Amino acid sequence: MNAVQRFIRSKVLLLTAAILIVAMCLSVLVQNQSQAALNRTVDENSRGLYDILVQAKAGSGGALVQPDIANGQGGISFDQLQGIRDLSGTSVAAPISLVSRVTQNLEAPRLEAMDYLGFNAGLVGTATAGQPGGTDPSKWPAAQSVLSETPKKYRLTASATSSDGASEKTLFKSTAEGTLGKARLVEEQVEGGNSIRIAGPEGETGIKFPAPAGGSEHNLFNLSVALPMAPEVTESVVAVDPVSERALLGTSGDFLAPLEKAPPADARSAAAIGRHFESLFTNGIGMQELEEGPDFLGVKLKYWAPLMTQYQQAKRSGELTEDSQAIPLIVRSGTSLDLKYSVKIEEIDDSGNVVKEIGTADRSLDKDYLPFVSKSPFALSWPGSTDYSKLLGNSANFSRGLYSPATWSTNFASAPKYTDGSTAGNGATEKTATPGEWVTVNRLPEKTAGGEPVDQTQRNPVDERSYRENLETGKKLATPLAMVYGTFDPAAVQAAAGDVNRLPLGGYDPTPMTLTKDAEGKDVPDAALKPSLSATGLVSQSAGAITDYYGLAAARGYEKNASVIDAVRVRASAPGSWKQAQPDVEKLANEIRDMGLEATVVAGSAREDANIFVPGYSRDDAGKESALGTVQQSWVRQDAADAVSGSLTATNLTLLFLTLCGAALLTGASTVSYIRQRRREAGTLRAMGWTQRRIRSWVLEEFAVGAGLLAVAGVVLSLLSWNLATVIVSASVLVLYLAAAFFAAQMLRHREEVDQEPQHDERLIAVDSPLTFANRQLTTNRFNAISLAVAVGVFGAAVGGLVALLIDIPRAAGASALSGLAAASVALPSIVLGLSGVAVGLVLTLVTGRFELQAKRQYLGTLQAMGWNPDMLGQVRFFENALVGAVAVPLGVLGALGVGLLLAPYAALWAAVAGLVAVLCWIPIATKVVQ
Amino acid sequence: MTNDLNLRRERGNDDGGGSFQTRANTLVKAADHGTPLELGNITIRYGGGKGGAEAVSVVEGFDLTLHAGEMHCVAGRSGSGKTSILTVGAGLTLPTSGRVLWEGESLESMGDDEIADRRRALIGYVDQGGALIDGMSALENVLLPAVPDGEVEQRRDMAKDLLDLVGLGRRMRHRPAQLSGGERQRVAIARALILGTRVLVVDEPTASLDRASANRIISILKDTTSDGIAVLVASHDHELVRLSDTLTELI
Repeated sequence: MNAVQRFIRSKVLLLTAAILIVAMCLSVLVQNQSQAALNRTVDENSRGLYDILVQAKAGSGGALVQPDIANGQGGISFDQLQGIRDLSGTSVAAPISLVSRVTQNLEAPRLEAMDYLGFNAGLVGTATAGQPGGTDPSKWPAAQSVLSETPKKYRLTASATSSDGASEKTLFKSTAEGTLGKARLVEEQVEGGNSIRIAGPEGETGIKFPAPAGGSEHNLFNLSVALPMAPEVTESVVAVDPVSERALLGTSGDFLAPLEKAPPADARSAAAIGRHFESLFTNGIGMQELEEGPDFLGVKLKYWAPLMTQYQQAKRSGELTEDSQAIPLIVRSGTSLDLKYSVKIEEIDDSGNVVKEIGTADRSLDKDYLPFVSKSPFALSWPGSTDYSKLLGNSANFSRGLYSPATWSTNFASAPKYTDGSTAGNGATEKTATPGEWVTVNRLPEKTAGGEPVDQTQRNPVDERSYRENLETGKKLATPLAMVYGTFDPAAVQAAAGDVNRLPLGGYDPTPMTLTKDAEGKDVPDAALKPSLSATGLVSQSAGAITDYYGLAAARGYEKNASVIDAVRVRASAPGSWKQAQPDVEKLANEIRDMGLEATVVAGSAREDANIFVPGYSRDDAGKESALGTVQQSWVRQDAADAVSGSLTATNLTLLFLTLCGAALLTGASTVSYIRQRRREAGTLRAMGWTQRRIRSWVLEEFAVGAGLLAVAGVVLSLLSWNLATVIVSASVLVLYLAAAFFAAQMLRHREEVDQEPQHDERLIAVDSPLTFANRQLTTNRFNAISLAVAVGVFGAAVGGLVALLIDIPRAAGASALSGLAAASVALPSIVLGLSGVAVGLVLTLVTGRFELQAKRQYLGTLQAMGWNPDMLGQVRFFENALVGAVAVPLGVLGALGVGLLLAPYAALWAAVAGLVAVLCWIPIATKVVQ
Repeated sequence: MTNDLNLRRERGNDDGGGSFQTRANTLVKAADHGTPLELGNITIRYGGGKGGAEAVSVVEGFDLTLHAGEMHCVAGRSGSGKTSILTVGAGLTLPTSGRVLWEGESLESMGDDEIADRRRALIGYVDQGGALIDGMSALENVLLPAVPDGEVEQRRDMAKDLLDLVGLGRRMRHRPAQLSGGERQRVAIARALILGTRVLVVDEPTASLDRASANRIISILKDTTSDGIAVLVASHDHELVRLSDTLTELI
């Protein structure tokens, strides 16, 4: 029988070689796959729309950076911007600055109650005939009203609330009472003929809220009650260079195209432009032009009417000066600001008791709201009312819009101060956010339109953390006029920016905050925080409009080359993935740093959720401040890609090492099994006159066959993968196997048996029960028992390692979004590797357990023949395995702990528990197998 | 055969499948001391399970009534079913068909635990080669059957006496590996007798032993019958066959 035949006959060696080759293939394959998946994920997700963020102030490398980059502080000049653009490695350099906070009054809200008198040619005149889409008079419905013929007394309670997502706050509540009834036509004799007018019924008092609100009046279609003024709404405006911004955003930035056609700085006089639109109105404007908006230097200005009305208002009030400029804006569709205005209507008797609840009319700012342009009048509808004004036809955009010019202020609110707290096991940084200073908001204008002082007591000004201008020090400047060039959809911009790296969006949209824990630290249902009119200074409001740098100059009045650029987002011209472009990006960043600017490489950064505790968030009537709780917000982890790549690679290598350790133990166990099998054969051969040298050759030849197979597999794998790790793994396995071969040859040497002494070992426990019998058996076969215990311990350690790995995957590279993606991409290969470790451990216990399986069955048969009943035989089997398990427990637990510490220190305890459970589970399984 | 054993051998009918059907008649020579073991129409077949292997009929229609103080020898060539009959008689395996009666009670009506308990009280089984437990001294091996009843200490003196009886009084602290084949057989016999066994079932006790050792074993077995113990022995040792009270030869 030649060596190959002997190798095949020796199932242990064949099995070992096969397992080692499979383990080698698997580990190499998994390693390569895992590394490739990791690199791919990191590359795909860590190069955003731009590579370098340039700011004036100093930053810190590897830090967690708040994503808001437009803060109004400036610091970068246009010369420096040009310098960056002139660098050879620059592809796009897009500046961004916070221009201003803009506060405007919503137009005076009105409550409209349907009080329609039907068609009356005398009143309507020819208005309907000429209106496009106007209804033919014969088709007008009959007169209707929600009001009664005789006036009834009503109480109206107007209130405004605003929610920050966690709690709602009432900004004001105002009540007015009076009688209202169905309108009537009053025909009066006037000089020159009869006059018909609409008037209230006899005895109607009307309802009037305190000034500056007006009273109630009947008109053609309804009764209109003037409501208290809505709270002011504040928006922010950012400036960008539309050309470079479009280059940065790609097609998603097309909404900025109209801005490129805005007139140059010296052609933006608000007065001149206002006069231009006024002349359009005076000279007459076609209906189509009214629909689409008049052409202004190649751009159809759909929202031209607000500019004109605000121009007229500013001119009347004297706010329009020679310095006033028109500021071209692309405004946001909708607002992130929460405001709900509602009016509760009750019918009451003379004593003030409620006779009937009519209902509540309300209106909120929502996605239909356009900053600087009120798309629809802020009117509330009496419950049950129908709006018949549409009978007149389309009145187009002309009547829409905010009528008063907004107040532009550079008095930016103080941002919250963030301080670092502890760092969690997964690398997440805890922070504390202290909101900015308290300011008083929600005041009414000092005077009414008629010049009378306003009763401020009708509203309770509230002390709030505010992102708005500080009203105590508010100052009127030359009033710029907003000139709306178009709108943008924030969702489209966000989609272009991508999910992992939200930095490009930082200038437009602050990343949202979510309340996760209350002030006591208890978990609460996740609630997205939003800016409100009771804002905290914690959640910033999204930019309401985008302008260009001439617009910034108009609003802020800087001189040429002032350092007004907050940040420049630079995309390097180097193509390819983050890894490929990294050297060029670093080089470009260094060149920018040489210009005296701070350049943060954001390629390779990733989103990371920061947990932020917020103290001093709200204040009760007694002035006591209380905490909000803990909020979560996506910040940006610099150098996340490097960290992810590094730590997950280390995890993979550790797993590979552990797999090799398992393979080594398996080889050792199988070698011991081989030695026991061949010892008798070796003795026979010796008796036949074989020399020790010949016997050793006989053994080594068999191992050489396995070694040859392993070597071939190693070479093939190395050539296929062309990877140093593969070569190292293959060589390690081969060395292990050869070491085992020489050990086996050494162990099969002849030894003289000298033990003829009777058994007098008093330390031996007398055999009088299944337990003591099992103990004696293990003591007698000490070597095998320990081998088995080690194997079981390795199994426990492998299970612990797998558990540690599963727990570790999300943690492996910290807490960034990139790490989550990367971990997900390597999870399967890593789990396969971990499972293969467990499989190796299990095979190890089975191979080792088989050493004595035949002998065990034999003596169990002997005991059975002696009359030991099945229960006692079961006890013997159980106690044997339990005793092995008892020895294996510390090995398994400590092994699992060690593996856990290597893979995931914070999961080490769980790994140890898993190791313990695995060993405990092995005991009944092994007991069953022996049966 | 030259002994006083009245023996008749029959060649079983060839069933055409290559297996031998064995039928034997056992004649009683000694006086009747009761019947601790009785086998009736025993058939033993192996294989023929789900694996599709052809069933091999080893023993067919075997009858035996073993009386107290009687030594019955089952002889035959290797593979003729001697050990199978012994394991069936000792209740270690169940026959394919037929009855096994221990002191008149059928094993069919007993559960595994009851069989084990009854075996302990009734039957001492000596496996081929002794089947001693490694790592335990001769004395400890002899005491092993007393473990289930918790009588190890109570029977220690008896175990020593038995070892003295089989001539191993000086070897009682030696382990199996330190004993010769004959010594191991004697320890096994002593172990089989420790619980006051009434039937000694011994498989090939003299195989691989020199004549002197074999004779000593035979002598011990013969001595036990004088104490009223029935001995069922499987062997093709001529001396053992000659000294047996009854003989079944399996063909």
